[in-house]
Amino acid sequence: MAGRRVLITGVGSPIGSALAGRLEADPEFEYVAGLDTRRPQAELLATEFIEADIRDPIIANLIPQAEVDTVVHNQIVRRPGPGMSSHSMHDINVIGSLQLLTACERSPSIRSIVIRGSAGIYGSEAHAPQFFDEEMARLYPLRTRFQRDVGEIETYFETYARRHSQVTCTMLRYQPAIGAGLDTQVTRYLSSPVVPTYLGFDPRLQLVHEEDGIDALVAAVRNPVRGAVNVAGPGTIGLTRLIRMAGRPSLPIAAPLFGGVTDAMRRVGLPVLSEDFRRFLRYGRGVDTTRLTEEVGFTPRYGTPAAVADWVQRRDGRRLLPSLSGALA
Amino acid sequence: MLGPGDAVGTGVEFMRGLRGALDQGLELPAALARSAADLPRGVRDRVRSVARRLDGNYQEDEWGFDSEFVSLVEPGFDFLYDVWWRVKAVGVENVPAHGRALLAANHAGILPWDATMMSIAVMREHPLPRQPRFLVLNLAFDLPWFSVAIRKVGGVVASPYNAIRLLEQDQLVGVFPEGVKGTGKPYGERYQLQRFGRGGFAEIALRTGAPIVPVAVVGSEEIYPKLGESPLLARLMSTPFFPLTPLFPWLGPLGAIPLPSKWRIEFCEPIETASYGPEGADDRALVLELSERVREVVQQRVLENVVKRGPAFV
Repeated sequence: MAGRRVLITGVGSPIGSALAGRLEADPEFEYVAGLDTRRPQAELLATEFIEADIRDPIIANLIPQAEVDTVVHNQIVRRPGPGMSSHSMHDINVIGSLQLLTACERSPSIRSIVIRGSAGIYGSEAHAPQFFDEEMARLYPLRTRFQRDVGEIETYFETYARRHSQVTCTMLRYQPAIGAGLDTQVTRYLSSPVVPTYLGFDPRLQLVHEEDGIDALVAAVRNPVRGAVNVAGPGTIGLTRLIRMAGRPSLPIAAPLFGGVTDAMRRVGLPVLSEDFRRFLRYGRGVDTTRLTEEVGFTPRYGTPAAVADWVQRRDGRRLLPSLSGALA
Repeated sequence: MLGPGDAVGTGVEFMRGLRGALDQGLELPAALARSAADLPRGVRDRVRSVARRLDGNYQEDEWGFDSEFVSLVEPGFDFLYDVWWRVKAVGVENVPAHGRALLAANHAGILPWDATMMSIAVMREHPLPRQPRFLVLNLAFDLPWFSVAIRKVGGVVASPYNAIRLLEQDQLVGVFPEGVKGTGKPYGERYQLQRFGRGGFAEIALRTGAPIVPVAVVGSEEIYPKLGESPLLARLMSTPFFPLTPLFPWLGPLGAIPLPSKWRIEFCEPIETASYGPEGADDRALVLELSERVREVVQQRVLENVVKRGPAFV
């Protein structure tokens, strides 16, 4: 039997590069291609780098030429990178996904598509169930720009899946990732000198360890299932405990002032908190990972508290607050 | 136990030690360690456990339940149980000792004190104590600090998904099927149960095969006697209702002090639901009938216990 042929979009991102590295080392895969405008972050010897913008209609010619059986869509932008406007973030997310699915339609060899999407589609809501399962995506209206982007991508993808029943379409809904090798909203937030919180609230948060995030992607490529699958470290962690473990001083701000104060803090160089992330800090969010374990067959190695503990241990930054129990031991 | 005088003395001693260590040129953590080592043993252990919590080194389960916090606030709840409300709990042995079960109780008293007193009753008087988890009105989760404390002592947002997940984890789950209509009862109709919503709790019990234990709570009706309400203030505060009691809002935050009524809590015989099978949850007629049966039991036992309790405050 011939090996599998995979194309990865967003291969220039840390997770895209790591995934390509994993797949090219795996004898099951005979061909790995990576599409991006940025070069991969690691030395990838066997991966064919296709330098193209996902928004460019030209990919509708490039992708069928690669004759792949699996496409991993790993180019959904969660926060605008340096020099990226929220408008171009929206373009990459929505128009990029649309172009990609159009290109897939012209590739008769495709058997499965895996999208690294976001659990942001569930939103962060005051009275939400503690754990969303995959059926609960539309319990609440989509409130933020990013949520609407993700909602649009999911709708395109569902339509595609309906029209092409021979293709297995997997939508992975990721909780925010944490890891020493990552630069995400969570790690930036926890690395700022003071960490703003909502006065009087301690939401339950859920994160996924970077290694589990990549392993889940590999597992879904090997064993694609139809429909949405949540990806998260089991369990939850309270924000207060998270900040204490990170060893940062928190700055509680009354809810009506939160937006204003954090905007002012941004001007003195503290990280930008997107609207989605602010809602995450106010209301939290947890997802149910039964489908990931039972259907995809992948059990995360790190629960959410363990993922945080691992990040605290491995990151380079020092604690700002001294460890008190260490001092008193 | 240390008296307040001892505590002040110990504090002064600690600060003096810290000052001395800093004067000798030690770094702050080392200086803290040095002066802490000189504290009496009990205080030192207490300081250590606070330090451990400040480092984030403590456990909460996936719902936010924090057993250390529970033991911290327990003396306060014990005081309310024994002295303030003089709670008498009967039939606690009707609560299953293990496995899933649903406690369905009448609801009164604006703030969910009835939930905490039911918890204490099960924790103290059951031969095999277990911590119940309660579905708490969504409204409570909008309040700063209060919402955090509710989670830590075992409250969760009143969502059917939460109830099903908890029952599937074989927990003991408490619900108040009257919901917000129960807490907002006028004083004159305080022993009259409101309708049990759409029977959602019965549906959940059927779906998970959990037995229902009806619970009658008497006494919570008197802690905040609602004499009237202000629709205008309710609209301004965007709450379902704004109660006017003899103390609230006239005394401000002090108005939240509950009156010292006398309580009785009766746990009734469990009603088994497993024999209907999970498909019973889709049978509207069965759900409504089961819900009404539970309501009748609770209503009848409330009235019986009002008589058994006697006068409300003495």
